[in-house]
Amino acid sequence: MASLSEEVLLVVKRVRQRKQDGTLYLMAERIAWGPEGKDRFTVSHLYADIRCQKISPDGKAKIQLQLVLHTGESTTFHFTNESTALKDRETTKDLLQQLLPKFKKKANKELEEKNRMLQEDPVLFQLYKDLVVSQVISAEEFWTNRLSLSSPDHSLSINNNTNNKQEVGISAAFLADIRPQTDGCNGLRYNLTTDIIESIFRTYPTVKQKYAENVPHNMTEKEFWTRFFQSHYFHRDRISTGLQDIFSECAKQDEKGLKSMVTQGVKNPMVDLLSLEDKTLDEGYGTATVPTPSNSSNKSLRENSNCAIIKRFNHHSAMVLAAGLRKPEAPSDQVSETSSTDGNSRDSDLFQPPIKKVKLQEAIEYDDLQGDSGRKTISLNLKKSDRYSHGPVPLQSQQYTTSQDMINSISIIQQEMRSYKPRLTQVMSSSAASSAIISLSPGGVLMQGGGQQTINQLVPTDVQSELKHLYMAAGELLRHFWSCFPVSTPFLEEKVIKMKSNLEKFQVTKLRPFQEKIQRQYLSSNLTGHLEEMLQAAYSKFQAWQTRRMMRKT
Amino acid sequence: MKLNIEGLLVYFPYDYIYPEQYSYMLELKRTLDAKGHGVLEMPSGTGKTISLLSLIVAYQKAYPLEVTKLVYCSRTVPEIEKVVEELRKLMDYYAKQTGVKNDFLALALSSRKNLCIHPEVSSLRFGKEVDGKCHSLTASYIRAQHQSNPSQPVCQFFEEFDAVGRQVPIPPGIYNLDDLKDFGRRKGWCPYFLARYAILHANIVVYSYHYLLDPKIADLVSKELAKKSVVVFDEAHNIDNVCIDSMSVNITRRTLDRCQTNVETLQNTISRIKETDAAKLREEYRRLVEGLKEANVARETDIYLSNPVLPDEILQEAVPGSIRTAEHFVGFIKRFLEYLKARLRIHHVVQESAPQFLKDIYEKVCIDRKPLRFCAERLRSLLRTLEIADIADFSAITLISHFATLVSTYSKGFTIIIEPFEDRTPTIANPVLHFSCMDPSIAIKPVFGRFQSVIITSGTLSPLDIYPRILDFHPVTMASFTMTLARTCLCPLIVGRGNDQVAMTSKFETREDFAVIRNYGNLLLEMSAIVPDGIVAFFTSYIYMENIVASWYEQGILENIQRNKLIFIETQDAAETSMALEKYQEACENGRGAILLSVARGKVSEGIDFVHHFGRAVIMFGVPYVYTQSRILKARLEYLRDQFQIRENDFLTFDAMRHAAQCVGRAIRGKTDYGLMIFADKRYARADKRGKLPRWIQEHLTDGSLNLTIDETVQLAKHFLRQMAQPFRREDQLGLSLLTLEQLQSEDMLQKIAQIAQQA
Repeated sequence: MASLSEEVLLVVKRVRQRKQDGTLYLMAERIAWGPEGKDRFTVSHLYADIRCQKISPDGKAKIQLQLVLHTGESTTFHFTNESTALKDRETTKDLLQQLLPKFKKKANKELEEKNRMLQEDPVLFQLYKDLVVSQVISAEEFWTNRLSLSSPDHSLSINNNTNNKQEVGISAAFLADIRPQTDGCNGLRYNLTTDIIESIFRTYPTVKQKYAENVPHNMTEKEFWTRFFQSHYFHRDRISTGLQDIFSECAKQDEKGLKSMVTQGVKNPMVDLLSLEDKTLDEGYGTATVPTPSNSSNKSLRENSNCAIIKRFNHHSAMVLAAGLRKPEAPSDQVSETSSTDGNSRDSDLFQPPIKKVKLQEAIEYDDLQGDSGRKTISLNLKKSDRYSHGPVPLQSQQYTTSQDMINSISIIQQEMRSYKPRLTQVMSSSAASSAIISLSPGGVLMQGGGQQTINQLVPTDVQSELKHLYMAAGELLRHFWSCFPVSTPFLEEKVIKMKSNLEKFQVTKLRPFQEKIQRQYLSSNLTGHLEEMLQAAYSKFQAWQTRRMMRKT
Repeated sequence: MKLNIEGLLVYFPYDYIYPEQYSYMLELKRTLDAKGHGVLEMPSGTGKTISLLSLIVAYQKAYPLEVTKLVYCSRTVPEIEKVVEELRKLMDYYAKQTGVKNDFLALALSSRKNLCIHPEVSSLRFGKEVDGKCHSLTASYIRAQHQSNPSQPVCQFFEEFDAVGRQVPIPPGIYNLDDLKDFGRRKGWCPYFLARYAILHANIVVYSYHYLLDPKIADLVSKELAKKSVVVFDEAHNIDNVCIDSMSVNITRRTLDRCQTNVETLQNTISRIKETDAAKLREEYRRLVEGLKEANVARETDIYLSNPVLPDEILQEAVPGSIRTAEHFVGFIKRFLEYLKARLRIHHVVQESAPQFLKDIYEKVCIDRKPLRFCAERLRSLLRTLEIADIADFSAITLISHFATLVSTYSKGFTIIIEPFEDRTPTIANPVLHFSCMDPSIAIKPVFGRFQSVIITSGTLSPLDIYPRILDFHPVTMASFTMTLARTCLCPLIVGRGNDQVAMTSKFETREDFAVIRNYGNLLLEMSAIVPDGIVAFFTSYIYMENIVASWYEQGILENIQRNKLIFIETQDAAETSMALEKYQEACENGRGAILLSVARGKVSEGIDFVHHFGRAVIMFGVPYVYTQSRILKARLEYLRDQFQIRENDFLTFDAMRHAAQCVGRAIRGKTDYGLMIFADKRYARADKRGKLPRWIQEHLTDGSLNLTIDETVQLAKHFLRQMAQPFRREDQLGLSLLTLEQLQSEDMLQKIAQIAQQA
């Protein structure tokens, strides 16, 4: 089948599954296993379906790898090649470890997105029920258009914020969550999850860098993390023993980072302890004992390590905080781009008073003593005030009214209104006025077509809502149908044919029963006339297209 | 609104007023009327500063001849700037209401570091460097050299100011530090010297304590301030320590070594000058014979603030003959130096009084008391004559000369302690001579003596009567004001036990106890789970905090706390702590929540406010007693007992409680704010401790919250926080803790207000 075109990443021979020898294949999107001597797979899982993998502990006789699926099922592979079993298993595990997170995220994100859309939009949910649950079209078809709608071409509009999802911060205690467990035989076991690893990387970029440098060419991932936990870096309070510690450099860099943070100083002058005192006592004055420089060198080991702990906590908290605040790069670029093009946002920054003034004012403010007038408001910070007041305007339109023009004209109107005096001699006659009112009232000459409104009274509500759903479903299908034109690719051709059959299916399974129902209730069958018309239009379009295609073919 | 305070029209720049503010102004007015001193305690966050300013400015406007100047002293630079901003608000209100342009001149004065606009000098980071560099550009002889040799660099801002700045008075207005700099830049004048000159005719001066209390600085800056000034010491709960610090001297071996090189430099300079310009030295000699008459005349005619380092008696005399010539003086100093070196060569602790020291020095090296007393003045004269540019280099010899003068002037109130090593490191020789002032009244006496009214005020001055005793003055008013509250927005709780019923205390015997430390940890952990945003925790000392943090770390308590909040810890490095503080605030801002571990008596506890969400709970771990084993403290306690009849324990408890109150008070800044105050030590429940808390905290301490377990604390705190989280509107406060003008004028309200102030 499709496996022919798939890229095979890894082949492991002599793997048993259900007591049967066979070969394990790791492909780009799935993992598969086929029994020996046969050329088809009896086991095949998409990576997206796999929840996690488990391995048998080292030292066990059987070297196994278990895949747990989202559905809860699991498949166990037993590596039986005596000499290389462990190595095989490790390579498989490592590869899987790299592959799984990619698919996991993708699958989850998509599922979440779909779920969210359905929950937020009851209309869509109804549509989904009508079309997908009743199997008019498949779920995939239903979503193909939806998702593409929401992601790329609309990304500039409201959906923007769903697109660059909010970053989740890091738990301050993520290192605490990897509490070592003793495994009984004088060893420690650390449980690392991808989340924790990501947290470590985000909080300590230096570790990430080390990881990138060393894994996998210098050491395996496992070795890397083992070293990490053994390192002086992780246990900062312990005094280092291993000189070959690859993390000593990290510690140094952190120290440097901390130093630079300190020397940078603080932005808020109210918390700057250095400039707090106006006049410090000169050296030699005062009762406080002077900390002599010789003092620090002879500090006991314990005191030093205590200091290190305190430093480490400050640093850790700062890093966690920074990691949470670190913005994804792309959007910030966008902002800078837009702001540089219109130039509007720039000068708004100029109006912001310096931070010191603000902080001082904040500090002396008593909001309860103040009258109401002093209520603070958040000023609207507009990038393009024109766009705000009259929405996006097609650029090619020549008679572009600026906001100044509009303000002018409004003020002119206001002035006119102020000096407006009704000229009572030139008003309409009362008969003319009343006839005008009549013709504007429902049922009047100018309000014809308002007869449709009577459907409210004529048709019971359940039928109405059913009709509404039908309209929506039909609309959705037709939208799919019409979006295929002009039919330029074979894919679209295929789709348009499918859509046509979908429409017919819809007419048979949904519309017909409804028509029969309203006939049974002796309501005017006119209700579905418009629906029929729309379908008919689609059919005739399809007919025309098909005949044209036949002609071209012949 | 316009208020009538016993016949005085006071403009108050707000539409509403707290009852206690009105009461405060009443007391203040009475103090000014009586031309006496006052001690006023009012909770922080009830608008003390604006009340003070409103009343005194109104008083100044009404009786311009009675009160000519307001000297407002505060502790930190941000505080100073805040005061000036509040003043600006008040003056704007005056201008708006009366329609008359403001004719007041008010300005802030700070050190060169905060005011310098010289591009090179101001880029220096440390105050001392800035001072030194400034001096090297503005000293009189440098400028004289510049006349003959234009390549000698001078500060053009100072030159410009010196040329024209004094003739043209600075226009009336409110000048904060930044405004002064702006003004200086516009005019091309040096803001620092402009401000120092302008304070003489300004109506309001805002600066730091040191400009009045430190004799070395006061002599330069404040000695010409008018007698009819009102002096306000805000945040004055620590004023005695500031006084003592400014008069105490520590001499180490390093000081003596540096002094030695100073003496050598002096000697070389003298011999050089003798060859080139002997006339200069002769001129100095002549001046010294004439004596310090000039200064004496000025002080007698009441122009100068007296200087405790320069006592009155010596002004009437000429410098004694033995140190009048430059060489003799240098020889004299050398002898003194050798004597000090010998005294530092000891192996046991020596404690003696000033007369004993003088007797010993006379016996050993034949130095008389009299020339010693003139040391400081003589050195100043010599440095001037020798045209020494960088005074900072001569800090060691200046220190020694100050010591000489002080030790020979005051037979009482000081003690000399020579320690061969530090207590903690008995093996390392590090001899120090502490010349320690024990009587804060010495430094502040000239201030009380000279100025008409001195107001001492703070949020925590309890018990009120102790301040007049230790500062040795007689106030006409002493009052403590409570905070009227529409809802009890502070919740003091005393936690005495852990859930295991083990007593929680930082008492020396049990502070290292495993159970105590664990219980402290559990308390913090539990609180971190229920308190929103920021928690500040204070420990009794830095070392204690280090130990506790280490053992919490080992026990995994910190890790559990981290699940709830980020942890930031004060360190001994100010820059590092500043960063931690900023990050702490950031974490509170963005909703993550954080805990700041800090130290009572540390910089954070003294200078940083934790308003609103920056501090929803303050936990005071233990009672912050001062380190009682220090000999200096012991000497001071003895002195207090003998001279002022204050028992050691009373003073120690008073000192501990004012710091505890200061720490927990950091969280409440106003009536819309709220916060938990958790005292985690069972000793707080005792009457002698509890009674020394400020009245506004004591009031809310019920019998039911005296000896709680951690669980009970959590319950009470949860209840409190839930209540506080309800919306709080102006209408809830109005008529109770917030008044309109009409409400204020009603009869029964005035009666209620009279009860707010409690006379001590």
